[in-house]
Formats: sequence, structure tokens, C-alpha cells
Amino acid sequence: MPPLDPKSGGRALWRSLDDLAGDKAFQDAVGREFPLYADEMLAPSRREFLMLMGASVALAGMTACRRWPVENIVPFSHRPEGYVPGERLQFATSYDRNGAAIGLLVSSFDGRPIKIEGNPLHPMSLGATDPIAQGTLLQMYDPDRSTGLFERAGQGEGTPRTWDEFAVWAEPILARHKASGGAGLRILAEPSSSPTLLAQKKRLESVYPQAVWVEWDPLTRDAEREGARLAFGRPLRRHLDLGKADVVLALDADLFMDDPAGLSHTRAWARRRKGEDGVMNRVWAVEAGYSLTGASADHRIPVQSALVPVALGRIAARMLRSGLTLSAGCEGLREAIERFESHAFDDPRLDTIAADLLAARGRGAIAVGPRQPAAAHALAMALDAALGNSGNAVTYADDPEPARPGHLEAIAKLASDLSAGLVETLVILGGNPAFDAPADLDLAKRIGSVSQTIRVGLYDDETSSLCRWQLPEAHYLEAWGDARGWDGTAGVVQPLIEPLYGGRSAIEIAAYLAAGAWTPGYELVRTTWSTRLPAAGFEKAWRRVVHDGIEAGAAPALTPVFAAGWGGEVARLAEARQLGGDAMELLFAKSSAVHDGRFANCGWLVELPDPMTKLTWDNAALLSPSDAEALGVKAIGDLVTMSLPGGSLVLPAFILPGQAKGSVTVNLGWGRSRAGRVGNGAGVDAYPLRTAASLWRAEAKLARTPGSAMLATTQDHWVVDTLGRKEEQVRAEELIRTGTLAEYRAKPEFAREMVEVPHAAPISTYPIEYNGHKWGMAIDLSSCIGCAACSIACQAENNIPVVGRKETWRGRDMQWIRVDRYFEGDPESPGLAFQPMTCHQCENAPCEQVCPVAATVHDHEGLNVMVYNRCVGTRYCSNNCPYKVRRFNYFNNHKHETAVSMMVYNPEVTVRMRGVMEKCSYCVQRINAVKIPAKNAGRPISDGEVVPACAQVCPAEAIAFGDLNDPHSRVRALHDDARCYGVLEEINTRPRTRYLARLRNPAEGKA
Amino acid sequence: MAGDRKLWGLVAEFRSADDLIRGAAAVREAGYTRWDAHAPFPVHGLDDAMGIKSTILPWLVLGAGLTGCSLGFLMQWWMNAVDYRFVIGGKPFNSLPTDIPVMFEVTVLFAALTAFSAMIILNGLPRLAHPLLRNARFRRATDDAFFISIEASDPRFDVAETEQLLRASGGTLVEWVEA
Amino acid sequence: MGVAAIDRRDVRDNLGDDPGRRAPLVLGKHDNATITDKVCRIVEMPKPPKAWYVAFGIALTVTGVLGAMLAYLISTGVGVWGLNKPIAWGFDITNFVFWVGIGHAGTLISAILYLFRQNWRTGINRFAEAMTIFAVICAGMFPGIHTGRAWLDYWLFPLPNQMAMWPNFRSPLLWDVFAVSTYMTVSICFWYMGMIPDLATIRDRTTSKLKGAIYGIFALGWRGSNRHWHRYERAYLLLAAIATPLVLSVHSVVSFDFATSMMPGWHATIFPPYFVAGAIFGGFAMVLVLAVPCRQWFGLKDLITPRHLENMCKILLATGMMVGYAYAIEFFISWYSGNPAEGFVFINRAFGPYAWAYWTMVFCNVATPQVFWSRRARQNPWIIFGVAICVNVGMWFERFVIIVTSLHRDFLPSSWNMYFPTWVEVTTLVGSFGLFFTLFLLFLRFLPMVAMAEVKAVLQKQHHEAR
Repeated sequence: MPPLDPKSGGRALWRSLDDLAGDKAFQDAVGREFPLYADEMLAPSRREFLMLMGASVALAGMTACRRWPVENIVPFSHRPEGYVPGERLQFATSYDRNGAAIGLLVSSFDGRPIKIEGNPLHPMSLGATDPIAQGTLLQMYDPDRSTGLFERAGQGEGTPRTWDEFAVWAEPILARHKASGGAGLRILAEPSSSPTLLAQKKRLESVYPQAVWVEWDPLTRDAEREGARLAFGRPLRRHLDLGKADVVLALDADLFMDDPAGLSHTRAWARRRKGEDGVMNRVWAVEAGYSLTGASADHRIPVQSALVPVALGRIAARMLRSGLTLSAGCEGLREAIERFESHAFDDPRLDTIAADLLAARGRGAIAVGPRQPAAAHALAMALDAALGNSGNAVTYADDPEPARPGHLEAIAKLASDLSAGLVETLVILGGNPAFDAPADLDLAKRIGSVSQTIRVGLYDDETSSLCRWQLPEAHYLEAWGDARGWDGTAGVVQPLIEPLYGGRSAIEIAAYLAAGAWTPGYELVRTTWSTRLPAAGFEKAWRRVVHDGIEAGAAPALTPVFAAGWGGEVARLAEARQLGGDAMELLFAKSSAVHDGRFANCGWLVELPDPMTKLTWDNAALLSPSDAEALGVKAIGDLVTMSLPGGSLVLPAFILPGQAKGSVTVNLGWGRSRAGRVGNGAGVDAYPLRTAASLWRAEAKLARTPGSAMLATTQDHWVVDTLGRKEEQVRAEELIRTGTLAEYRAKPEFAREMVEVPHAAPISTYPIEYNGHKWGMAIDLSSCIGCAACSIACQAENNIPVVGRKETWRGRDMQWIRVDRYFEGDPESPGLAFQPMTCHQCENAPCEQVCPVAATVHDHEGLNVMVYNRCVGTRYCSNNCPYKVRRFNYFNNHKHETAVSMMVYNPEVTVRMRGVMEKCSYCVQRINAVKIPAKNAGRPISDGEVVPACAQVCPAEAIAFGDLNDPHSRVRALHDDARCYGVLEEINTRPRTRYLARLRNPAEGKA
Repeated sequence: MAGDRKLWGLVAEFRSADDLIRGAAAVREAGYTRWDAHAPFPVHGLDDAMGIKSTILPWLVLGAGLTGCSLGFLMQWWMNAVDYRFVIGGKPFNSLPTDIPVMFEVTVLFAALTAFSAMIILNGLPRLAHPLLRNARFRRATDDAFFISIEASDPRFDVAETEQLLRASGGTLVEWVEA
Repeated sequence: MGVAAIDRRDVRDNLGDDPGRRAPLVLGKHDNATITDKVCRIVEMPKPPKAWYVAFGIALTVTGVLGAMLAYLISTGVGVWGLNKPIAWGFDITNFVFWVGIGHAGTLISAILYLFRQNWRTGINRFAEAMTIFAVICAGMFPGIHTGRAWLDYWLFPLPNQMAMWPNFRSPLLWDVFAVSTYMTVSICFWYMGMIPDLATIRDRTTSKLKGAIYGIFALGWRGSNRHWHRYERAYLLLAAIATPLVLSVHSVVSFDFATSMMPGWHATIFPPYFVAGAIFGGFAMVLVLAVPCRQWFGLKDLITPRHLENMCKILLATGMMVGYAYAIEFFISWYSGNPAEGFVFINRAFGPYAWAYWTMVFCNVATPQVFWSRRARQNPWIIFGVAICVNVGMWFERFVIIVTSLHRDFLPSSWNMYFPTWVEVTTLVGSFGLFFTLFLLFLRFLPMVAMAEVKAVLQKQHHEAR
């Protein structure tokens, strides 16, 4: 396939057009004929999409039985049944990330996927998604993706090639390897949960017995796996059911954001935070960096990451002293545990934790994060078993690939093989090892030394630049595949659109390597599933799986038996020492935006404020206030130098209250050099400091470096002076009204009485009755974890532009729903609260009365509607909005759109022009999408039918939306709840969005 | 100095404003009707001396003001409460308090424009050509000189007699003005 | 030859504050002829002084820069300014309120002082009115260009449009549209009407045919007829009577932009009187800034006498203290109201990140005018000039403080931010001064800058009293 110029809009969208569009002669002809319209003619037309659409429908098996060969693109003359042009359709698929999948429902509009939502049937998503899963949509439309095959001799952009040319080059080589049993063949892949890929792997092993399949994951979670190997003698997967846990101890573990089962954890946890039933779970967090779990915890103890195992050990010791008996196989641990008693580090709260866990025997769980050593995981497993938590909140299942060597071990071996010259051909399937492998392995240089390197990747990135061949990989929304969730639930990945740039999926490539011939992905997947599904009635079952997106049934739980003789490992944990002086522990962390770096070019994610720092477009060295002071860091953005034995790095500092003293966190994945127009040069690359020996934690010396960087935050712009900070504290208490479970039991309506609302009954000069629907929203601050999934969902649904670093720095970020973050209490160990903030649809809307042209008015259902084409942009409404939720288009934010990047727009929402105000509309397009059919069918709208994007995506079910006039609606009930209050009610705006007070459940009732 | 052209009237210069007043009184005594006094600035007492009765201009202004006020209200009421209604921040479609500023401004606008234009029109202005303006000496009427002019069309006009009257009442340098 | 029968007494000083007799308002040996001469010569001189050319050149260049800024702004977007989420108004509206304020002195002097029979106004009212009009032109520009889609500004007027929609009369911005445009119209009427007799004077003196024709047209054929004078005076009186409440209303309406909003620091009932006082304050300051050099350069010391300056200084002192009182009372109320948000805004103004702006304002507006307690200061043109400049700076900062410090930290701390103007905003502000002075210099060159007819009337009275 010819290379495509993304600016002209990824012409070749489906194969039969490829040759046409790619054909030089044809293009010239067009140029001659219609010099002006050449681009348009070659750009994808709606009609082409409609044809593809047909295909997708056929493939999806949405509508009963159709039996044309699925690879055919249905000519538009036979419109597929059940497909109405301009109608939104949803297709189930799965998204595999670092070897664990979540189920998705993708909305498609005339063949364009425009919105990603969670698949309610999938236990790992339960209808919710996280920001990154949603960001993959924009990634697919990224004009900077690899647009074709390139062959490189050494450096440079390389020469464009076709798949056939590649085959011509590859066949002899593969033949040679076949002959030699694949001795010199290595395949370096990113982790995958795909059964089909596993099958191809097996085929490869049979064809090339001596070839090695290496798997590398920069965010590896092997520590837990190894912990299980230590404790039980074999790798197992550990599953948490927070729904069954009354007491959860999270040790350097983010159960919500940095966990393959995070969504289900969040859901289960949130359901136990309501307080109506008077019972709440309690979360203890012991961690170095501030994680979302730490933020939602009832108690958080900031501790250097190195000391977290010690904390666990001390807790264990206390529990033993209070008579906890270790379960069979673990007796040997006793003296190991007792060694912690003598450790320098201690904290009185650890006693409480121990007592709390003991009191909740069988109803607790101890979670340890991936950054902690295997032994810590093993110890936690032993304690869970002793406490009887195993089998309840904690369960174990078989590892899908017990034979797989650890990621680190595998890549280290590959590195040594490379330097030993044992590798003739290196195939790199996805990932970006040249960028994210441990620095001391020097993989970049070594890959360059291999003569035959084939890279299959979405982007022509750092790794591609070192490889001979760059093959465009098909995005998961473009290709067939399958994936398993962390819990083992398997699902099918189905394409929503033909590959934009003629890419091919990893399974197709792997199959090609094994067979030497191309097999369509669909065939491969079907073949795999023909073994999984009953032969009898396979078609039906298969269509069901494609339709639902999953095959029900997680991996069965088992009760493992402890192996003996690992007390020594645990004992070694007690040797961890507290860092002090100018030596600090440097912690590497997953970025909530760019993940391991692969999303560096996704505008939505790069501009999504980090939940804790509210930092966009950058990463930084997160320092505790006291450390910052010691280093002489006055303001955020001041530069600091980190010196390690391996090298040093200069990067801006960010003062984050709650960061453990003596430890500095740096997010990985930033500072890409070949990410694309968005990602290049955003942030600082921390991988060079990361060695195999110190994958997650290193010892570093920090020093202030003259100079300061411009960091774009969406909150706390500039240093807030003491005056302001004091006021912030006072206000935060009124904005986010917080009480303990005890206080709530004593007086359920405590929140309402926190602020005096002058008028007994809210007055209005013109009491308007909203007799039809009366839309309203309720946000439960007890369950909101601040993950900001709602922000991205809103951005995707409402065509919200990305404005860039400088504009964000100015304070012109555009997200319609933002998550406000307030710290409370001691800056060294503060509490933290989140508050999603979007248009409150005030009944007495201050914005409306000041608009001279009536561009924002109320409709008969009480929505505060913004009339874009009437707006002249005086910005008076924004000034007069007490919630500051209005967003202004200071520039034309869509100037740089390309034909491809424009495809992501939701056709049901206007794209706003320069000089126009915009804001949350309660997703009015979704309201009407339900209202109109309901009206046509003459039926009432039932509660829960209308779901705005933010409410739909929320993993914690914190946002409820509905008709306040419906006495049985959930939102009505929540508005009547004792915890319910309105922000700034006292100024009589009569907001339609109200909040439920935040409840905490601290031990002994103290916060 | 009477040319072959038709006589428009006579004009006499007076030394000072006070003389002018005296002269005006005299001319009025004599019962002339089509005559006028000219000064570089409004001279106090001259109106009484000439017996000018006060103008209806104030009443026009009052009327205009009232019209403006009601129009201002009607416009807002019709536009926001009748022709195109929208619910604005829970306020009534027609809320008098918020109408007041605009009503006031429109009142002032109408009144002011009327005062201005009425002055011009009632004075028979603009009149760019006038026999007096052709008189060289008369040009000083806008500088520092005072004049009384009597038109030939006045029923009691008689060249000799009128000229005599002007001189007698303190007028210096009486001149014929041609039409 | 003008034989004025009145005795030519030579008046030297008019500062002897003898309460018994009204001090003369015209100095020097003057009769009607010499006054006409003095004023008209400026217009009639074949070539204006070099200073004029230099000044005009500079002003015109700066105006050109303004044009460039507007072109850049409208072609690129309001983003070229430093505005952001909480602070959606900055220099734009600050300049608007500033210029409108300047635009108050003129009509005020013409109207209110006329009603109060303050004859000393005659020396200064003409160019004070001119100043008003030019200031209002500058003021009107800013709301026009600050919108995101300036080409749609006409939607703010009740004109039929393709949406069959009407503007929202509940919005203070719409009141502004009416108030400012009405004020503009009425001021022009007032100014022009006052000028008709003087234009006639120039018409009658000029020797050039062209000039005669042009001035003749604008003089409307005025010939000093007393029947005309009668209606003229009545109309002028009525205009004054109408314009007086108008002047007060305009800045009250401007203050409604803030007073009727919800923002702490804006939502205050004191605003209308406070703004009007401020406007008079700033307006008179600007009159002085213009009057002091003009009388110097154009030899009008006899018509714009030290007495005039002194009176204006006293007004500055008085209004300055009113403004100071307003500053104080705002603080008191914010505490007394017990509204925490309100309270914080004012603490934040005085001690927050914008304290520098606040104290600049207080120093310029409250402290500096106090020098006018001393008579010597009131009589030294250059001290007066300095203080007047100070007051103008102070009044600009007053608007900046009100707008920016209230917005930058409002209800939700999460959206607090800072505002930094860009070079475009600064240049635009400077450019507006260029426009103002360009127009004013043209006025000085081509129109009578002192109301001759009125001065003559006053002179008449003065001689009568002298008798």
C-alpha cells in the first residue's frame, strides 16, 4: 500500500480504493481535471464510510442473520438491513493494555467510531472506562500515526514500501530461519492477553523451535506474580473483591487507577461508601506518592516507598503479638516478622491498622503495589491467609502463562543475546522498547546493531527509527482480535473501521511469520474461538460473543497451599533503611496521562490534568513541601537536578503536599522525541535514569538548579500567597462538606447546616414551573475518586478542543467538566478531596441575565442552554458565573484539524467557532436522542434512560442524572437525601446540580 | 447709496448693548413688527425691550420626552415580553425595574434632539443666504457690533421716517440693505 | 471700527478672594473685539506653531498603531489579549470605563455649572465638551472590539436580524449601549449648538472664500438675531437641564455592569454615586491636563484665568475625597455585611497579589489631591498639571482594581488565577490616547476653543458690575 499523507486525510480507507488512491497516474489525472478539488476528491467521503459502515454492521452481527463473507465491503446499492444512515450504533469490543483487557462499547456514526464507553457486560469495566481507554479513540485518528511501510538503511526517513515488497524481502529470511530452527530469530512483543496471539505464538514455537519470544512491559506487575511464586511455589493471579472487604490496607498500591482491575475495584469500593445503610468500608493507605487510593482512603500514612514493607512487617508483628496464628506453611515467617520490631521506623497508627484488620478477620484485604518487592507481596498473602481474608475478599487464580519468564529477566536475556551477536532477525511487535527498556541494557544501541529488524508499530517512533522495516500496525479499533480481562474473561475485538493507513494487526503479522503467508485476522480469531466455543451451534454462539463482546466466565478461583522456606526473603525486607539528608528515594510512576509513553501524542490525555497535581503537558519531580523548602524550591516549575550513579537529569519540581518526606516521584513516558506533533518535547524523559536494578526505586541526590520552567496547571496557578491559602481552606470546607460516619449517624443533615442559606424557601422574582421534565444531577462526593474519566468522556462527546500548553498555562483550558482538588490539614500529611465541577444549570442563572444578546437562556425543562450562533462573545456570562464553568474560544481552536482528525467529531454536537462561549449542556443531544423516540413511541421516559457522558463513564457511579419531576428517579431520591446540598446555594442560584456530602469512616471516629 | 436693486430694509449700528436696548424699545414704541436686533451675544433685557413672547419650544421638548419614555417602554415590553420571549435567569418576561435605564435614555435622546432641531427650525435656519449677510459692516454683528434692522416689507416702513427713527433712538450709521 | 462705549478697565488679578464681590472672569484690557481676535486668531493663523505639528505627528502615528492592533485582534481572536477563565475582562473594559469617566467633565461643566449659573465655566466649557466627545469615541471603541465576534456587534442594537431575535433588555451591557450612544449624541448636539454663533464669527471674519463657505455652512446662517438668541438660549437651557441627569445616569449605568452582577467586589449598591464622583474627578483632571498647556501655548491666560484653574483644583480636592470616602466605605460594608466572600475580596485587594495596583490607586486618587489644601499649589499651573496627571493614572488603576482584583479570586478557589496583559493590550491602551489627541489637536486647529459669545456675555456683566 502506498504511504499516505495524513494532511490530505488518510485517503485510502478501504482496500479496493487503495490502489485507486495510491495510483500516481490517477492522482495526477485528478490534479489535472480538478486542480482545486484534488484533495477533496482523494479525501475519504461520507459515502465511503457508509460502505464501511455496512461492513461493520455485517461483522458485528448486530442484526440477526446475514451471511455474506465478512471481508466484503457491501456496495452502497445494497444497504445492509437495520442500518439507518445518520444513526448512532454501538459495537462491543475489548481493549488490551499491558496484557489485561477491559470491555468496551464503541459508538459508530456512519462508519466513524466517535465515542468509547465501557461494556456493562464485561466484569472488568462494568460499563465504565478510564481516561486512557477513551483516549485510544483519538489515538486511532492521530494524523501522526505511521502511515505506511518504510524500509530504512541506517538512519533517515527510509523509503516507502508496499506489503508485497516486504514479503519479497522477508520470505527468504524466514525460509532460512525455518531451516535453522529459528536459532537467530527473536520476537520482542508487548504483553498481550489475546488467545489468538497465544495460538500464533505456539505455531511459531513449533515452526522455529529455537526462536525466543520475549515479552517486555515497562510497567510490569511481575512483583506480585513473583510474590505468589515465592509463597505458593507457582505464579498465581491475586484478585480482590472490595465488595467483601470492610477493611482494606493498601500498601503503596493504587487499587483504582494503577490496577488492571481498577474499574471493578472502584465500583465495588464505591458501593460501600454510601452511608445510607450506615455501614462503610475503611481504607488505610500507606504510600509514598499521593495516589487516588490514598486520596479516597480514610487514613493515609505518607511513608517512603522503601519503608512500606517495614510498615507491613510491623503490622504483622503486632498482629502476631495479639495472637494471630499464621496458616500452615507460613510458620517459618514468625521470627522473620519479629525482626521488624527492632526497625528504626515506626508509626503509632500502625497499631490501629493491625487492630482494625484483626477486628475484621475474614472481612479485610491487604493489597501491595507493583513497586514493592516480591517478598512483601508474599508476606501480605500470608497475612491475608492467616486473617481468613483469602477465599473472601482475596482470591487466587491460575496465571494464564505460568511458563512465561519475568519481563525484566526476559529483556535482560535478549540484551545479552543481542550483544553476543546471537540475533540475526529481530521482530518487534508493538511497544517501544528503545524508549522504555531499562537504560543500562542500552537496548537502543543493540537493536541498531542487528541487521534484520522488523518493527510493527502504530507510530514511527524511537524504536522504528532504529529498525530496518517499519510496518504500520492496525489499531485495535481497526482490526480483528481477542483479549482476556485480568480476571480471565475473554472477549472479541472487532474492527469499527477499515485500517486508516493499511496497517496489519500483531496476530496477522505473527501468523505471517509462522506460515509465510497472510491470513486475515478474522479467520485467525474465528479459528481460535472455534476451539473455545461448542462446535454445535458455533455460528450462533460466535455471533453472540461478537455481539456481547465477551464470553462469560472468569478464571476459576482456587485455594493455593503455601510453600515453605521463604522466611529469609521476608527477613531481608527488614533491612530496608530510611533515607535522609540529601539522599532521596526516586520513585518511577505510571503517568495518568501518557501511561508508559504510548499516549504522548494524544491531545486529550496530554491536556488532561493529573488528578493530584492538576498538571498538564508536563511531568515533574513531585516533592513534599518540606523537601522543597530544604532544596530551595520556591515555586512550582523551579528546576532541580537529580544525580544518580547512572547519570543525572534536570527537570522542573512540583510541590505536592502529602508526598512522603525524602522521596521524589517522577512520572514515566514523557519527553518523547518521535511521538508526533503533540508529544514531541512534552515533559522530561525519566527512563534514562531507570536501570534493571532499580526498576521502580532508585537513590538519588537532588539539588536546586537555577532557572524555572513554565508548568501549565489547571488549578493553583502561580503560587497562592498565605492570604489566599487560608481563604482556600475556609472555602474548601463549605464547598466539599465532609463528615465522619459517626457524625452522619448522629445528624444525617449535617451538611445542610454547615452554611446558612438566607431564604427559608429559595426566592425568585418569577417562579417558573417546570412541569414537563426537570433535569437534574446529583454528584456523590463520598464515592468520587477524582479519576477524571468524566472530563475525557465529556471532551469526546462534546467535541471539546485541545488548546495546548501555552493556552492552558494562561488558564484557558476547555474541559466542560473539571475535577477540583482541595487539600485539607497539615501540608506534610494532608487530606484530599475531589469535586467534579460543571455547569450547575442554575434556575436563577446569573449568566443569563447579563447576556446582552440572550445567547444563553433557559428552556422549558430548566436547562441553561447556550446558543452558539447567537453568542457575540462579551464573556460577561463567564464573569458572572459563580462556578466559573463557562469556557471561551479565545482562538479558532480547530485551525489545525486534518481530514482524518476531524473524523472523531460527534456529528450531533456543534463544533464551536472562535469568539464563542461554551459550557456543559447536560448532554442535551443525548436527552433528545431519548426523548424523540420515546415521544414517537408515545411512551414515558424511564429513569436511567438519559445518561450524560460523564455519568455514563463514572466507574464509581458518583454521578446521577435524571428527571427531578419523576418521584421514583434516582436523582430525585438523591436530591431529597439528607446528605444533599447545593454549592453556593446561599447566593440563590438554585442549582440543578447538587452534591452529596463526603463521608469518611476513620477508625475510632476520628478523621 | 440706494442702487437700482430693490430695498430690503434699513440697518443701524448701535454703540453698546445698552444703546441697543434703548433703540429697540423706541422702535417697538413706533409700532414696527417686521424688525430685529442683532448682537454678538444674548443681551439681557433686550427680549423685554423688543417684546418677544416666550417660545413654545419647551412644550415641544416635554412632548418629545414623554413620547420617548413611552416608546422606550413599549419597545422593551414588545420585544422581550411579546414578540420573542425567553426565560432569563428566572426573571419575568417584562420586568419594569430592568426597563427603567433604557426608558430614561430614550426619553433623554428624544428630548435633546427635539430641543436642538426645534431651535433650528423655529429660527428658520439654516438660511445660508440673507440680505444682511451681504452687508460688509453687518459682519461685525457676530464680533463686537450691535444692530437693529427694519424690513421694507413692514407696513409702517417709510425710508425717510424709519431712518429718522433709527437715528433718533441712538442708531449710528444707518444703511440701506438691498434684497 | 468697534467703538465700545464701555471703559476698558485693566484687570490683573482675579484671585483676591474678597467674598464681597465676584472676582472678574476675564483678565487683561479686553473688549468684545479683542476677545474675538484672541480666539479666532488661533483658527485663522496660516500656519500653526511647530509644537502643534510635532504633537499631531506623534498622535497620528500612535493612532496608526492602534489601527494595526485592532486589525491583529479582530483577525486573530481575543486570545491575543491576556484574558483567561476567571478574568474574562481586563484592559478592555478598564479602558472603557476610564474613557467614559473622562468623558464626563465636559457635559458636566457645560450643563451642571450652567444650571448653577457658574459663569466661570465659559472659559473652559468649549474644549471640555470637545474632550468629552473624543473621550466617548475612545470609550465606545473598547466594548466594540472586546467581543469575541466583533463583526456581530450590531446584534446589541434592537435591529431586526436573521434570527428574528431581539436583545435582552435585562442585561446591563445593553443599558450601556443605550446610555453611551445617547450620551454621545446629546453631547455632540450640545457642543455644536454652543459653537454655532462662534462659527458665524469666524465665517464673518474670514477672507478666504473656501473657509467662508465651510464655516458658513456649519454656522447655518446665524446672524445674531435676538429673536434667534431667545429660542437659542431657551433650547440651550433645556439641553443643559436634560444633559445633567444624563451625565449622572451614564456612569451609573456603567457602574451597573458591575453592581448588578454577583461577583463579590462588584455587587455593591454604592457603585453608582461612587462611579459618578470618580468620573467627575477624573474628568476634571483631564480638563486640567489639557487646559494648562493650551492656555500657555495659545495665549489664552486671560480667558482661562488662574481663577478657573483654582476652582477646578477645589473640585478635584472635593471629588477626590468623595472617592476616598467610597474606598473606605466599601471596606466597611464588606466587613459590616458579614459576607465572607465580599470580605475576602477587599482584604485581597489591599494585601493580595494586586496590592501594588490598589495602593497606586489610593496614593494617586486620595493622597495627591490633598496638596490643593495649599493655595500656592492651587495657583501653580505645573503643580496642578502634575497632580492632574497623577489623578488620571489613579483613576485608570481604580477601574483596573475593581475589575481584575474582583475577578481573579472569586467564589471557587479552584479557578483562581492571575492576569497578565500582553503587549497587544498595552499598545491598544496607548493607541487610544493617540486617537484622543489626534482628534483634540484637530479641534484646536480648526474650531474656536473658547466660547466667544458666552465670554462676551460674561464680560458685559463684568463691566456692568464694575460700574
